[in-house]
Amino acid sequence: MSDYEDSLADVKSGNTPIIPESGVSGFSLAIVIGVLAFLAGIALTGFFAVDAAVSGWSGELTGTITVQVRGMTPEEIRIGADAAEEILRSTEGLSNVTRLPQEEAEALLEPWLGMDNLPDDLPLPVLITADVTPELRADLGSLRQTLVEAVPSASLNDHGAWTDQLVAAASRIRGLAFMAFVLVILASSAVIVFAARAGLAAHRNIVEVLHLVGATDSFIAQQIGNRYLMLGLVGGSVGALAAWLATKFLAVVTGDAGGFLPAFSIDAGTAVWLLSIPILLGGLSTIAARVAVLRALRGEDRYVA
Amino acid sequence: MVTDQNSQAIVTFEDVHLTYDGVREVLRGTDFTLRPGDFRFLTGPSGAGKTSLLKLIYAAHRPTTGRVEVFGNDLLDMPSEEMPKLRRRIGVVFQEFRLLDHLTAFENVALPMRVLGVNPNSYRDDVIELLSWVGLAHRIDAPPTVLSGGEKQRVALARALVSKPDLILADEPTGNVDPVMGEKIMRLLLELNRLGTAIIVATHDLGLVRGLKQNILRLKDGKVTLHGPIPDETPAREPEGAQ
Repeated sequence: MSDYEDSLADVKSGNTPIIPESGVSGFSLAIVIGVLAFLAGIALTGFFAVDAAVSGWSGELTGTITVQVRGMTPEEIRIGADAAEEILRSTEGLSNVTRLPQEEAEALLEPWLGMDNLPDDLPLPVLITADVTPELRADLGSLRQTLVEAVPSASLNDHGAWTDQLVAAASRIRGLAFMAFVLVILASSAVIVFAARAGLAAHRNIVEVLHLVGATDSFIAQQIGNRYLMLGLVGGSVGALAAWLATKFLAVVTGDAGGFLPAFSIDAGTAVWLLSIPILLGGLSTIAARVAVLRALRGEDRYVA
Repeated sequence: MVTDQNSQAIVTFEDVHLTYDGVREVLRGTDFTLRPGDFRFLTGPSGAGKTSLLKLIYAAHRPTTGRVEVFGNDLLDMPSEEMPKLRRRIGVVFQEFRLLDHLTAFENVALPMRVLGVNPNSYRDDVIELLSWVGLAHRIDAPPTVLSGGEKQRVALARALVSKPDLILADEPTGNVDPVMGEKIMRLLLELNRLGTAIIVATHDLGLVRGLKQNILRLKDGKVTLHGPIPDETPAREPEGAQ
């Protein structure tokens, strides 16, 4: 066999990446991307936790009304409460009309007055709750009017003002969480842009050779961008996984906070969003690197020397 | 090789001036023409503008004034986006090799084909054949870091040839190799020229030029002072000039 035939059989060379890994996608950069992905994951989980809490509060609190009946004597209160309860039960759009038992009303005062210290003639207000349809809740004026006319000491509370403030505050926190997520993703892109520029400068000799053999700027940008695709995918995956683990840990540590405070748990939707982080970072990293390289190379002959 | 004087020029310089940074003028009204199949030794003292002239041909620079036409493209008017297509028709060999150290000899030679997006299966045999032709069949998987100067230069030569260019530019290709290897590289270039590739070789080594009996293009102070056969009284080496 000739040398040529021997070589045909023995050649081991493959398609080594044209842009070497070192200097472009170093270990430290992967750590930075991983940390940013972790922060993005935590921000995203916080967003969904608050979102779920707001939905719960809105659903539970805006779906009920409470009527409070006061009076000078227990008898007056009982008569007023009976009348109010009858009105509520006969009103279309209300259901599950429930009067708070006397024992529970007394239990509410227990922290201040203690057990067995309540005199029998204490005029404790009566609380009546009812589920309300959205249509009726939108216009409670006539019901309120009817109640006040029949029982002047009755007051109707639809929790609107309190719920609205709570939901508004939670919505702002939710907005901040999402903004933090977006900013962290943008920061990742900015890091990639800086790294891509540094990588381009570090591999200027390679870029020159590529230009000499007829490579277009797009080809070079693609080669460098591909390095960052892997970096974004790997760093993003590690960061998202760490965020998932941290959230699971928080869920175990905090447990169920009574259904009122947002629970740090991961449902299927949140998990899908966490999975999107590496894809998002991979895509953005590629695009950011390519754009940075193309802008650096555009119209410049200095990379052919 | 006999040149058809009526064939269209592949390189034309007309009153070309090139100034670096607006102050250092390296070419001062250079004129010459290169036709398909021509072989020229580009000679002249250091600082005469040889490398700058080659850079203009492979579009690393544009002329300050004058007309440089390469394969029918006027470089002054040519959009940057078109430059890669032009460079793909030119193979360049440098004195300092310019190989990529993280790639093997095979991958360095195959680089222009990868840049073109050619399927590796379709150029694999060509690359191996080229490396065999330059005597490096046994070094195919070796990175440049373990190759000698002569071997590196032959890899660089194979890389310049793999895309079958119409023009080869070699800037001091024997500058970093021993005389025996230098002559071997020159013989390879002459063999290519006999197959029809136009070649310009920049060199100081006038003894080598005289031995190979090819026309020269002599540059001095940025101007062509001689275009034709080398005179008998020429010294063996060009004098060192100011850079």
